[in-house]
Amino acid sequence: MLMVLLFILFGAMAVGCAVAMVAQRNPLYSAISLIGVFVSLACLYLTLQAPFIAAVQIIVYAGAIMVLVVFVIMLLNVDEEVRRPVRLHFLIPVSVFLAAVLVAEAAFILKLGSASARVEPIAPQTSDIGLTASIGAGLFTTYLLPFEVTSVLILMALVGAITLARQTRTPLLAVPGNVDAAPPVRDDDVVILPGDTAATGRAFAKSQIEHGEAAAPAARANEEGRQ
Amino acid sequence: MDWLSNQIGAEWARAIAQFIGINVGFVVVLMIVAYTVLAERRVLGFIQGRLGPNRVGPGGLFQPFADLLKFIFKEEITPTASTRFVYFLAPIIAITAALMPIIVYPFGPEVSLPFIGRFHLVVARFDIALLYVLGITSVGVYGVALAGWSSNSKYSLMGGLRASAQMISYELSLGLSLVGVVLISGTLDLNSIVEQQGGWFGLRWNVWDISRVPQIVGFVTYLISAIAETNRVPFDLPEAETELVAGFHTEYSALKFALFFMAEYVNMFTVSMLATTLFLGGWQGPFVDVFPWIGVVWFLLKVTFFLFLYIWLRGTLPRFRFDQLMSFGWKFLLPVAILNVIITATILWLRL
Repeated sequence: MLMVLLFILFGAMAVGCAVAMVAQRNPLYSAISLIGVFVSLACLYLTLQAPFIAAVQIIVYAGAIMVLVVFVIMLLNVDEEVRRPVRLHFLIPVSVFLAAVLVAEAAFILKLGSASARVEPIAPQTSDIGLTASIGAGLFTTYLLPFEVTSVLILMALVGAITLARQTRTPLLAVPGNVDAAPPVRDDDVVILPGDTAATGRAFAKSQIEHGEAAAPAARANEEGRQ
Repeated sequence: MDWLSNQIGAEWARAIAQFIGINVGFVVVLMIVAYTVLAERRVLGFIQGRLGPNRVGPGGLFQPFADLLKFIFKEEITPTASTRFVYFLAPIIAITAALMPIIVYPFGPEVSLPFIGRFHLVVARFDIALLYVLGITSVGVYGVALAGWSSNSKYSLMGGLRASAQMISYELSLGLSLVGVVLISGTLDLNSIVEQQGGWFGLRWNVWDISRVPQIVGFVTYLISAIAETNRVPFDLPEAETELVAGFHTEYSALKFALFFMAEYVNMFTVSMLATTLFLGGWQGPFVDVFPWIGVVWFLLKVTFFLFLYIWLRGTLPRFRFDQLMSFGWKFLLPVAILNVIITATILWLRL
């Protein structure tokens, strides 16, 4: 009884948050709704006697991935999404029809189907499928090869991300390792040596003055003198 | 207990017992937190050669309640350009994520009471208690990050970004420094981790247990990253008042500010409890096997030691610079924590 109540509560939360995630126009609200989906899914795993999977769901999805998404939204300061007029009008009746078919199907199975097809609430069993020890044993014996291959895949993604992020033609910050072995000469008077942040700053200021993005220091000094 | 389960069924009786346990736990923790704040002000006063608050009640004992009343009756100011829903949500997330882990810590051994029978002094006992704590801690970042973003203030945004970057970075070394204890215990259940530390007159703690692998390195890395995780001095960059006014809670006033304030101290309390449970033997101590209730005293004494350490550090150390903080976390603390895991695993493997 208690389990059924909890299932209804968290199931409704998951569905509600999922709908809110799609319907929201503010990307941060969508992200918060997605976190709500992950948390309610974790609670559903708990009611299904899989505590380890629930904890990993929270730690990995809600705690790590969504934090990065929220971080990016905060940094980019994404505006509210502008609603564009729907172009493919025929899709609306089609989607309504498909949704109706899905609901009818579920209702048929639950109410009108034969007794054998009816879904009875499964009593909580004492299986060890979701427990920490069984998952650890499985990962390091039967499924060792897929586990290691997945970790290599993640390592490749990591290396790829670093390679993409490091492809800068002119180093903005002259930290050691960010500059090539031969110091790039930007101009006759500005030479950037590895680790020489002051020279980088001078080069950056010079390029900004050349592009008209900043006032030359002499001009600014004159203005201040006049005031 | 038996009478209740006969009346309404064992499932509901357990649910009611745990509900009462959770509420009692919250009240006790909030009282401890209130007096931690008072202790901090008095101890800081002692360190700095002044008195601290001593007017409300005998020796300032009722100061926390005066503070609470003041927080309740202050004006609630909401910035006009704030994102209203997220602005209200952020302190709720912060205090919820801070309070949720306290139910899994065992604060005493199995005791017996008249009418109730024998029971363990822990609110909830389950298989993945440690992972649960880590998961809830990682969700706590949202409170700070969303508060900084939704206030629509530059100081708040900078504070929120700093806080979330710092908490994400130090979460890694925090988690890795716990792996050593998990390796030697072979379980994630905090109760059995504490029970395994029994022996040696109650002093066989994981920190110096040479019959297994002493976790002194893990203990020190955990302590440092826990201080960073709770945004306390010397890692209180997110609310560096000389640079950022008050960081992520600059725009928060009255009770919403009080929620952030409480969340910080509850976090201090929970990381102290985790350090006690994993490294200092939890409720284990001399004479626990003779008189079980003394385990609660040992537990609270150890936690109080950590809380005092926090206050002591705040009165002693200057603040880090942000790049120093990041390079310390990633280039020193994380490798040391990984090395501790490797060494512990190797020793355990060699002994098998």
